[in-house]
Amino acid sequence: MRTMESENIIEMLHITKEFPGIIANDDITLQLRRGEIHALLGENGAGKSTLMSVLFGLYQPEKGIIKKNGQEVKIHDPNDATALGIGMVHQHFKLIEVFTVLDNIILGAETTKMGFLQKKEARAKVEALSERYGLKVDLDAKVEDITVGMQQRVEILKMLYRDNEILIFDEPTAVLTPQEIDELMTTMKEFAKEGKSILFISHKLNEIMAVSDRVTVLRKGKYIGTVDAKDTDKQSLSNMMVGRPVQLEVTKAPARPGEAVLDVRELCVPSRSHKKNAVNHVSFQARAGEILCIAGIDGNGQTELVHGLTGLEKSSGGTVTLCGEDISHASIKHRGANMSHIPEDRHKHGLVLDFTLEQNLVLQRFNEKRFQTHGFINQGAVREYAGQLIEQYDVRSGQGPVTMARSMSGGNQQKAIIAREVDREKPLIVAVQPTRGLDVGAIEYIHGQLVAERDRGRAVLLVSLELDEVMSLSDRILVMYEGEIVGELDPKQTTVQELGLYMAGAKRMDRSGKEEKGA
Amino acid sequence: MKNQGRTLLQKDGTKTVLASLLSIVIGLAVGSILVLVVGLFSDNLGMASAWEGIRLIFFGILSTGRNTSGSLTWGFNPQSIGNMLFRATPLILTGLSVSVAFKTGLFNIGAPGQYLMGTMVTLAIALGIPVSALPSPVIWLLAFLGGMLAGALWGCIPGLVKALLNINEVLACIMTNWIAANLVTWFFDANKMFQNTVENTKSSYVYKTAYGRTMVDGAWTYVDGSGVQTAKLGLDKIFPGSQVNAGILIAILIAVGVYILMTKTTLGYQLKACGSNRHAARYAGINDKRNIVLSMAIAGALSGAGASLYYLAGNTEFFWQTYQSLPAAGFNGIPVALLAANNPIGVIFTGCFMSMLNIVGLQLTNLTAYNEYITDVIISVIVYLSAFSLLIKMLLSSRKKGKPAQAAPDSPAEVKAVEEASAEKGGERA
Repeated sequence: MRTMESENIIEMLHITKEFPGIIANDDITLQLRRGEIHALLGENGAGKSTLMSVLFGLYQPEKGIIKKNGQEVKIHDPNDATALGIGMVHQHFKLIEVFTVLDNIILGAETTKMGFLQKKEARAKVEALSERYGLKVDLDAKVEDITVGMQQRVEILKMLYRDNEILIFDEPTAVLTPQEIDELMTTMKEFAKEGKSILFISHKLNEIMAVSDRVTVLRKGKYIGTVDAKDTDKQSLSNMMVGRPVQLEVTKAPARPGEAVLDVRELCVPSRSHKKNAVNHVSFQARAGEILCIAGIDGNGQTELVHGLTGLEKSSGGTVTLCGEDISHASIKHRGANMSHIPEDRHKHGLVLDFTLEQNLVLQRFNEKRFQTHGFINQGAVREYAGQLIEQYDVRSGQGPVTMARSMSGGNQQKAIIAREVDREKPLIVAVQPTRGLDVGAIEYIHGQLVAERDRGRAVLLVSLELDEVMSLSDRILVMYEGEIVGELDPKQTTVQELGLYMAGAKRMDRSGKEEKGA
Repeated sequence: MKNQGRTLLQKDGTKTVLASLLSIVIGLAVGSILVLVVGLFSDNLGMASAWEGIRLIFFGILSTGRNTSGSLTWGFNPQSIGNMLFRATPLILTGLSVSVAFKTGLFNIGAPGQYLMGTMVTLAIALGIPVSALPSPVIWLLAFLGGMLAGALWGCIPGLVKALLNINEVLACIMTNWIAANLVTWFFDANKMFQNTVENTKSSYVYKTAYGRTMVDGAWTYVDGSGVQTAKLGLDKIFPGSQVNAGILIAILIAVGVYILMTKTTLGYQLKACGSNRHAARYAGINDKRNIVLSMAIAGALSGAGASLYYLAGNTEFFWQTYQSLPAAGFNGIPVALLAANNPIGVIFTGCFMSMLNIVGLQLTNLTAYNEYITDVIISVIVYLSAFSLLIKMLLSSRKKGKPAQAAPDSPAEVKAVEEASAEKGGERA
């Protein structure tokens, strides 16, 4: 039997890290055993990333010590961390887009002879690693040309190339497709088998249950506990994480659909990347009091469909009728009169990050009489309205209405957008991946809001890539494949497997709703 | 809200001001080193002159000349300060021009062209309307508004090209600058009536606006003193012997107006939204194309106003053969705006500072064997450092907060802007 010291490869003891106005880590202890996959679970803003940044040398803790193999170590910067064998795959990859894969992998750890690069040796080493772990990459491709999944493999190879034995994965699955997630999980298990130790940051309970040996839960900067994965389940983990019982399933009454609010006929939207239509003769109706979900694998025209509906892109054919009015060629502002839009990309479209929260909350409404007099903004009215929304929708931020949007957590940024869009009280709500990247607490909240809006008689058009969300939230499902609607399903009657077949294009219905042989 | 907890030093504004002051001090220090080196290696200068030069660089605005024993004297110099305010007037306005565009996410390197177009139209109106036709305040006002309008229209061109064809505004601005330079030369070359033939000591100058177009013995001619001049409003009593006039007050008023426009109005809100995130602005139904054109038009109008106020003083002459050079007042708007971190109120002070350097240069030339080009070096150093001021601000922030990533909002664009500006300035000298 090994002693305690050698069992734990890394120990972070009583770590406290403060930022002005907030204690990000409050007396947190984390012990990573050799050869285990240790999940670090917590909501957005719970302090997971801060803790990992401390381990990686990006931040210096105010209190607490870090031990490796029982010896206290000081980690002043990432170079120290690398020297100790600690490697990290960041949530946002740290790759140079115009460099090749190989150059990115060896960058900072180049083998040189008399100042000249020895790429051959490096290439041999990387090829051997990639072969051994089944991490397929094209070494000569430029990073900007490869898929996100391959970029992540490049990041992993970077760690392996440096012979790291402690691997940190910061929310690695957020950007991956389901198949890529499975591959990653397999690779992680293989690493653990070889004796590498893995810290896995996530808030996706399914994944944590699937791969991890132990789970440490943080909440609001505090250490809640460490449990063995085999002794726990999703429900109790999520309760630990949120601090109260959480509903993982959506509860909703049966829908009572009313009249059609949105009527789309033969809509075509040209693609930006190729000559074909990204949206090809799509027709459907969204009815009041119903959540209609557009399901599909990413990149099958959902984004373009939403852009065509909201006016962000011009349609090339067909008609869009909203509340009885033809808006096929109307301006974005005009369409906004009857439609609110929770956009797919909250940083690109949803928020002006360098504006304050209150300025963002009136992004479409600043011109309303209530908020301006003769072109001058009624600062008082804006502040009051923002305060009201913040309270009603529980948007948390450091400084209330005057917080910079950039400094808010992802979940609260999304809550702010939901608050703004829902409060505009429009008959149609277009919500595109409203819960992407959010934790269970926030997802529960947002699902609740969308159901409440449905029950208030609004039409909700939901675009989602998450099968769980599609199945639990929607009242009716349309499946999009290669720019066309290939099936209409009832979530109560169908299964995830059947939905998957439509999404993959293996099955399709004809216009009358009958099943026909797949494309 | 929660700002009480933060000390003055941690406030963003304080950091900005500190960073700007630091770059100014470094710029002046570099100038001093230059003065020292030049002093030690020239035959007609020496350690004593170098010491005088350094003192003049820092305190030249307070220099009152030399006493009978030959040493420098110091004190309140109304002429220098008055002239500083006078020369600050166009700089404040071109600085505002650049900063308004910056806030909208555009780099207005077209200020010199807008300035020239403003000059041309202002002079054409002020000198073209016979003094008998309209009362001179009306002519003054028409000339001023005409200059603004010309600048606005000239600013619209890069704005339109950017909005409709998505062509980089920097490119279009540089081209329109040279088009303006040649257009103005052509205009005054073709319209011989504006060419100053009364004061024939110098060639290629347009009449000062103090000359009024008058009918004498059945022929149009220009009579000194009958034209338009910006009112002095008693400023000449406070700063006797200087060129100062009410233009500086108008510039300050406009700066306050721009501040109100950008922070208190829905238009400013839209402009800033487009500048910070064009996609989000579009998503919210804000017409981003219109706002780009509008922003460039406002920027152009401000540059044009700068030119109008400078040339309507009545005692300034315009050298019309501009086809080989662009007015420095246009380009100097860029460091003025950058040093002020694009704050309209800050621009008032940085504009005055830049013109103070100008006066310092004159003092150096008058009182020592150095020439005013030393101050050009200082200005250049400060232009470079104004980009560093963002870096300094970043360092100040990272030390306090430990989150450097959030303290660097749009610095790369501004750094690039400075580099381009310097490159363009180099071209102008060549």
